[in-house]
Amino acid sequence: MTQRITIDPITRLEGHGKIEIFLDEEGNVANTYFQIPELRGFERFCVGRPVEEMPLLTNRICGVCPEAHHMAAAKAADAVYHVDPPRTAKMLRELLYSAFYCTDHTTHFYALAGPDFVIGPDAPVAERNILGIIHKVGLEIGGKVIQMRKYGHTVVEMIGGRKVHPCTSIPGGLTKGISKEQQKEILEMGKWAIEFAQFSLKLFNDIVLGNKEYVDLILNDIYTHRTYYMGLMDENNHVNFYDGKVRVVDPEGKELVKYAPQDYTQHIAEHVEPWTYLKFPYLKAVGWKGFTDGKDSGVYCATPLSRLNAADGMATPKAQEEYEKFYKTLGGKPVHQRLATHWARLIELLYAAERWVELASDPEITSDNFHTVPTETPTEGVGIVEAPRGTLTHHYITDERGVLTKVNLIVGTTNNYAPISMSINKAARNLIKKGTVISEGLLNMVEMAFRAYDPCFGCATHSLPGQMPLQVTIRDVNGTPVEVFKQFC
Amino acid sequence: MKKLIIGLGNPILGDDGVGWKVAEIVQKSLQAQPGYRLPYRPSNSKTIEHLSPVEVECASLGGLSLMERLLGYEHVILIDSLTTGQNPIGSVQVFPLEKLPHPMAGHSASPHDVSLLTALQIAANIGANVPLKIDVVAIEAQNVYDFSEALTPAVAAAVPVAVEQVLLLLQEAP
Repeated sequence: MTQRITIDPITRLEGHGKIEIFLDEEGNVANTYFQIPELRGFERFCVGRPVEEMPLLTNRICGVCPEAHHMAAAKAADAVYHVDPPRTAKMLRELLYSAFYCTDHTTHFYALAGPDFVIGPDAPVAERNILGIIHKVGLEIGGKVIQMRKYGHTVVEMIGGRKVHPCTSIPGGLTKGISKEQQKEILEMGKWAIEFAQFSLKLFNDIVLGNKEYVDLILNDIYTHRTYYMGLMDENNHVNFYDGKVRVVDPEGKELVKYAPQDYTQHIAEHVEPWTYLKFPYLKAVGWKGFTDGKDSGVYCATPLSRLNAADGMATPKAQEEYEKFYKTLGGKPVHQRLATHWARLIELLYAAERWVELASDPEITSDNFHTVPTETPTEGVGIVEAPRGTLTHHYITDERGVLTKVNLIVGTTNNYAPISMSINKAARNLIKKGTVISEGLLNMVEMAFRAYDPCFGCATHSLPGQMPLQVTIRDVNGTPVEVFKQFC
Repeated sequence: MKKLIIGLGNPILGDDGVGWKVAEIVQKSLQAQPGYRLPYRPSNSKTIEHLSPVEVECASLGGLSLMERLLGYEHVILIDSLTTGQNPIGSVQVFPLEKLPHPMAGHSASPHDVSLLTALQIAANIGANVPLKIDVVAIEAQNVYDFSEALTPAVAAAVPVAVEQVLLLLQEAP
């Protein structure tokens, strides 16, 4: 008898994700499929519009990280116009982006990832949420999370002109700069953000690393995959979210390639499967060998953990200390345990806060030289930034007027589609065996396998069906549901 | 009573953006009424006390971000698309937020963080000024997967109906 377990949609994540777990006659896992409906026609929607609209339009692809799309689009538009923005413009963009990162990583840890560890992976679902964290750790933590988000939004608004959906980046730089008073305010908020990041790392240290059960969970083989790792790096091979070259290391940590944004098509190809519209990117030089890890498989991963693995270190001192502690604690580089991504994300939070202060302290940040007027004929350009959930590539081709004729995007999570699918499969196979009582807690542990990736499929600005956020249906061979699990988040 | 009307959704994703279209017309209708003042927008980036009796805005927000936007208002009306699959396309429903079909419906939740109801609970816990009353005007949508600035005909036909419902809600809670 074949049973099918459906987790639909995925709790606390993009509402339309669906996991299908097929059991064999014995009751073991036969196969798993992770499906997400793709929003269609974005390229067609863009073609025929001026390229300078892209930093505004791509904002609307996704409600979760519009700032990331704004930045990648701005950089691609710079490239299309062959214009190099002044130093102040680059710093302002990166400052905005660092503040955004603080907001985003904070939200993921406290609202999505944290509950599994602070409350417990198999705790009752009614408690396993951010309110549960507030209840357990203290009321002030809720205030701190909201404060961190508020500071992040404020910086995005000061530099980007609007909260959440910035609108000031144009080919060649920005439409406005910041005043000395704003600089002072941004600096003070950044110093608070560093303290908040350190507080979050201490919380992780005390609650997660201080609990052997959780450390064992992180190190458990069921959440481990040995893949290639990707991340945007500066000239010293330190993690940089806004600029640099894309570095890929192999499962042993050795550099495979370090490429400039415009060369991405030489290194990345996409595999197609019949059961999903979304494509699976892989490394051309290694090739697609199926949903498998190891050095011979072109599957790569682009996450906070991947960035740390692909880097030689962090560019700021406090984050570097944490980086060293991370690898010392987990047994050296690279770290393959996917649940360690949550720790890596907090190290990035600290880096983003330190970078925020560093950039806000630069005397040139208040300069009026925030735009270079483009003078060349527009042609083609690629812009790459690190979105919180993976390397984000925008590629535009225009006619001589700057009107778009072709658009290609590889969004953060798409990079991770293959490794996420593999992680779900491995967790399900190990957790669901013949005779296992399938509980909500057990299925949450399957979900944890992919929650580590912070996946986002661009539908946060999207109507969700009027259904339960998580529904697990076990069907008999005739497709009749024999058991239904439901939960709220 | 300090009021906010907010059209939710993605304005370039077909019917998903119907909330924006309704909010835009509501704003125009209100402007035509005597005594209405446009929201004051300062040139610098600091948030200031809003001067208008009713503020109308469009947003692509959910969860914590949406909650943060609603703080400080007493009465909020959310205009949103829903895809329940159970109601006829273009049907308009009005209900208080607590009666939302489920916590993740419409754009009230950002599936990337928490539902609006949870976010409001967090805000109330830390002593923030949460709205006393939140109403939802929901329009059953059809196309929410294809990028487009146009609404499908049945949803477009629902826009004036939804506008009227919003104006009625304003009258009921002066």
